[in-house]
Amino acid sequence: MDGNILDAMRFVGAGLAMIGAAGAGVGIGLSVQGALGGMARNPDTYGNLLTNMILGVAFSESIAIYCLVIAFLMLFKVV
Amino acid sequence: METQKRTPWRRWIVLVLMVAGFILGGIYAPVQPEITVAAEKLIEEPLTENFLGFAGPFYLVNTLPTLAVTIVLLLVIGFAANRSLKKSQQTDLVPRGIGNVMEAILEMLYNMTEGSAGTKWAKAIFPWFATIMIYVLFANLLKLIPGFESIGVIHHAHGEGHAIAELGGGWANILPEKLEHDGYILAPFFRGISVDLNFTLSLALISFFAIQVMGVRAQGLGYFSKFFNTKRMFKVPFFGAMDFLVGLLEIISEFAKILSFTFRLFGNMFAGVVLVAVVASLLGKISILPAMIMMFELFVGLIQAFVFGMLTMVFMAMATQGHGDEEHAEH
Repeated sequence: MDGNILDAMRFVGAGLAMIGAAGAGVGIGLSVQGALGGMARNPDTYGNLLTNMILGVAFSESIAIYCLVIAFLMLFKVV
Repeated sequence: METQKRTPWRRWIVLVLMVAGFILGGIYAPVQPEITVAAEKLIEEPLTENFLGFAGPFYLVNTLPTLAVTIVLLLVIGFAANRSLKKSQQTDLVPRGIGNVMEAILEMLYNMTEGSAGTKWAKAIFPWFATIMIYVLFANLLKLIPGFESIGVIHHAHGEGHAIAELGGGWANILPEKLEHDGYILAPFFRGISVDLNFTLSLALISFFAIQVMGVRAQGLGYFSKFFNTKRMFKVPFFGAMDFLVGLLEIISEFAKILSFTFRLFGNMFAGVVLVAVVASLLGKISILPAMIMMFELFVGLIQAFVFGMLTMVFMAMATQGHGDEEHAEH
């Protein structure tokens, strides 16, 4: 077994950075849960709820994307 | 108007192209592209040594051709829609073709603006929203055209590269085999412009300044009392000081908007590029899966364009409404 310890730690760091995606997953789940509950109770609000739900999902998702960007920056040796 | 039965021959073209892509992907195995965060240079030497006198060397990077294509496409669509609407005005007032499509899209967006910004400011906010949304939509979707990110200049790799096979006439094909030395990598002619931090950062700056301008237009200089809150400073000293500190935090959150706008769009589109590359290299000769991921990319591109425009619109609406003790939306 041989290799560069710096390369190894780069992969470990990228993996650790992606832990943040867990929180984003919980956030997306919660917002979809709320929107679906609202749609089930009041089907007339479907369009309005869908728009706002997609907005909320995009907010939560962007947190995961920040983690992904950090992971990529480590993987591709930018910093 | 009676409808005649049309023969849907165009959809067969799509099917034939899909099958041809599947077979060609089996013959010429997909090569994992070189993934770089910055845009690649098409020509090694800078076009001008000192751009505008102070900005340093200016390189021809491969997002510039895509930017030109995007702008030309938008101009063509704009002129075509204008002509189509003018023609319908002269005949029977029924919009047809591209004019009809653009009218439907813009009407939908305008109703959305009116819904969240109110009728008073919708006229001022709508152009920003629609412009940003349509521009980012084209920027995101243009890279789904075949040939984007796959045809380009082959040059020597500094590190690990690929072997090439000459096709004749100055053209060559990159082979999947990896070489330690003397390898070649590809710098494509066209790279999606939203996969470039410069594009997303400049859009974020434009949207940020437009938000401030909209706030000042609506509330005058009182808009800045959101940031330097001295209203209650002398009446209730403790809570007044608290308000002042919260206002300072508001400045930070205002500048964080630039960062979050920039990295949301860039991160999503860059993640798409990496995803396609990784999936293509996972399966080797089976090329149907990257096509599926491309379909997902279409969805992501649409959503991100919508989110960018929508957020600009919502922040502008918040800036026009002034502030009291309302809760602040998280971004």
